[in-house]
Formats: sequence, structure tokens, C-alpha cells
Amino acid sequence: MSVRYGLLALLDEAPSHGYQLKTAFERRTGGNWALNIGQVYTTIQRLERDGLVESLDGDPAADDERRAYRITQAGRSQLAAWFDNPVVPEAPARDELTIKVLLAVAAGDIDVSVLLQRQRRASIEQLQAYTRRKAKADPKRDMAFLILLDALIFRTEAEIRWLDACDARIRSVSKEAAR
Amino acid sequence: MTVLVQLDGAARRFGSGHTEVTALHPTSLTVEASELLAVMGPSGSGKTTLLSLVGGLDRPTEGRVVVAGQDVGSLKARDLAILRRRTVGYVFQDLNLLAGLTARENVAIPLELDGRPIGEARAAADAALDSVGLANLADRFPDDLSGGEQQRVAIARALVGGRQILLADEPTGALDSITGESVMRLLRAHCDGGGTAILVTHDAAHAAWADRVVFLRDGRMVDEARAASSPDLTTTAA
Ligand SMILES: Nc1ncnc2c1ncn2[C@@H]1O[C@H](COP(=O)(O)OP(=O)(O)OP(=O)(O)O)[C@@H](O)[C@H]1O
Ligand SMILES: [Mg+2]
Repeated sequence: MSVRYGLLALLDEAPSHGYQLKTAFERRTGGNWALNIGQVYTTIQRLERDGLVESLDGDPAADDERRAYRITQAGRSQLAAWFDNPVVPEAPARDELTIKVLLAVAAGDIDVSVLLQRQRRASIEQLQAYTRRKAKADPKRDMAFLILLDALIFRTEAEIRWLDACDARIRSVSKEAAR
Repeated sequence: MTVLVQLDGAARRFGSGHTEVTALHPTSLTVEASELLAVMGPSGSGKTTLLSLVGGLDRPTEGRVVVAGQDVGSLKARDLAILRRRTVGYVFQDLNLLAGLTARENVAIPLELDGRPIGEARAAADAALDSVGLANLADRFPDDLSGGEQQRVAIARALVGGRQILLADEPTGALDSITGESVMRLLRAHCDGGGTAILVTHDAAHAAWADRVVFLRDGRMVDEARAASSPDLTTTAA
């Protein structure tokens, strides 16, 4: 989804070739969202099929590499609608950590607090790695990169808060039981 | 490597007999120059107790706490006060500043208590305020500063006169994330310049500025996270 609209947004600025789109997309998203060129061409073909972009020189026989594309009127209105509407979170993805914790709690013979702490340490170390990158970045020149890092950092932070909450819940129940 | 803070089986118990509470079980830990240490753990796990021992606000009931080469537990009250004025700065979660004094006067307090001439103390205060980006607000009273600005004044006061060891208990508690980040950048810069800081926080994103994160639980250090040397960050677009 994000690649499709990303390419549309770039084509809205200027007609481009696939390879130009690939490098521009990567630059815009902070240099950390690698795209492969094949993915760019398939996405463009779908956009063309849906009438959202069109080939500039209209030669259907030309190679992918030599073809330049521009956005159509329909493409422009779809792009505007995308920017105008919030991203609706999908139903929670099946996520391994949540499932692991739920199963560990149910199992009864696994030390959940040890499991939670091991996970907490791993997540903090991941956060430390992100934060090092953040500390080195230039607030003006690397703004896109910093915004991307913030997304990764806050997601990891949320995970740690959830681990803390699990821990506290389990502790309060086992304290009650000890009474 | 210069060790600036060392706990050697240090413990803190309150009360005795069946009412005894062990806020901190015997704990050993060293913190070196240039190191930023974060302390995390649930409420009541002993974080503030640990920080108070290092800051000389409290003494261990067992073991030793050595700060900048001095054994805090055996220092006379007078020498402890000198250690606090010259070497260790403390930032609390709130109630940091005196309302009747300007930012500059607040920051100058530790130096004036130390008997430095007023002119010299104020000049050092201005330099410290400048280092936290508040040179232009030196004449403001705390009530006329935002929470984030007050916290930066408190950090300037903790560092004024070149104190090496900064202890901070939830200094980012009430701040929004970008303002909190600017406080973390100050702590980081202090450590990168050869100082040491110990930060108590519940906020993982702030703890992640540290080189090392120790986890307390029921008064014991149960685990430790370290910044890895070669982070890999590459993501793929969906
Ligand atoms: N003066 C005291 N007398 C008796 N018990 C105390 C005293 N000071 C602290 N404690 C106890 O020691 C334990 C550790 O307290 P401490 O203040 O270090 O926790 P903390 O980790 O800082 O918690 P929080 O995150 O809530 O600030 C707690 O159980 C507390 O009740
Ligand atoms: Mg506390």
C-alpha cells in the first residue's frame, strides 16, 4: 500500500523512470526503506492497469528501464483522497510475542517474569541501537530519517510498556494468592 | 578507566525485627567516567534508594558506597556536604527550584554555599545556563518558565562549577517526548564530555540513551542491558 501511494506522490511531482522512483522513494523515507527495482516495476504496471499513471512515450514495446511515466487525473484524485484520510488500523496482526506470553501464562510451569525480563532486555537493547542512530543524526538534514526512527522507537517503547503491564498484573495476582 | 561510582555490597534496610524493610539488598555496581547509566524497575523496587546512597543523601546500612574515591558511609557530615556541593549534582522529579529566586540565582546556590564570591558564582551560573540553552532566560523566576525549562535549569544547577556526577530521578516525568529528548541530549553530552550520570526512569525511550540499563526488582539488581556496538536498522517496505 505505502509503496503504491509513495510512487504516485513522486509521479505527482514530476514524470520519472522506474529507477529514479526507486532512489527518490528511498531518500524520502530516510534511506532505510529499501525497495527492489522489480517491486517498483510491478507496482507501476498495476498503477497503469488501474489508469492512475500512463507511459509518457506510449511505446508499449519499450523496456521497463526506458519508459517514463506520469500521473493521470484519476491518479491525482486517488492520491489526494489518500492524504485526506487517516490510516485505519487493521485488526491486530497475529504477533509472536503476544502469543508467546499468552501461552506461557496458560502453561503454568513457565517462569513468566523471567520470560518478560529477557524480552524487556532485548527490546531495550534494540531501543539503544535506534537511539544511537538518532543521537548522530542532524535534526535538519536528516528529518525524514528521524521521523522514521521515532516510529520504530515508539513502537518498541509501547511493547516495553505492555511487558511492564503484564508483569505488574501477574505480580499483583500472585501477591493476592500468597496472602 | 576512571571509576566514579562504586557500590560494594551496599544495602539499605529500614526498621528492625518483624517491621524491617529491605529497600536495597546488597548490591555491587561500578560506573565509569563517560558512562550514562539508567536504572529501571517497578515502583518500590529501590531506585530512589540507590540514587540517594550515591548522592550521599542517605547512608548504606551495610557494604560501601564510594563516590569519586570517597567512602560515603564513613564521611563526616561536613565532608559529605562538600562532596555534594562540588562533585555530585542531584535533579529530582519536581520541586527542584526555589520560587523566590531567578534561574541564575537558583543555579548559583551550590557555589555560594561553597563560599565562592557572588560575582564568580553568578558568572559560573550563566555559563551553566548557557550550556543547557537557557542563557536568555537567566533573569526569569521559576513560575515564569515552562516545565521543560525548569528541568533544564535544575540540570544546570546540578552541573554548575563542573560537577562530574549527575544523578537524576525521573527528570523527564512530566515532559512531552521531544522536550524529554532534549533533556536526555544534555545528560548524554555531559557523559560524552567525561562526566557520569545515573538516571532513574520508567520511560524506556529515555533509558535507551544510556550505555547501560540496570533493572531493579524488589530491591535487587536482576538484569542489565548494554548498547550493542553495531546496530542494524534496515527495514523493508510492505
Ligand atoms: N524511609 C523509609 N522507611 C521505610 N521504608 C522505606 C523508606 N524509604 C523507602 N522505603 C521503602 O523501600 C522500598 C524502595 O523504595 P524506593 O523509594 O527506593 O522505590 P522506587 O523504586 O524509587 O519507587 P518509585 O518508582 O515509586 O519512585 C519501598 O518499598 C519503600 O516503601
Ligand atoms: Mg523513586
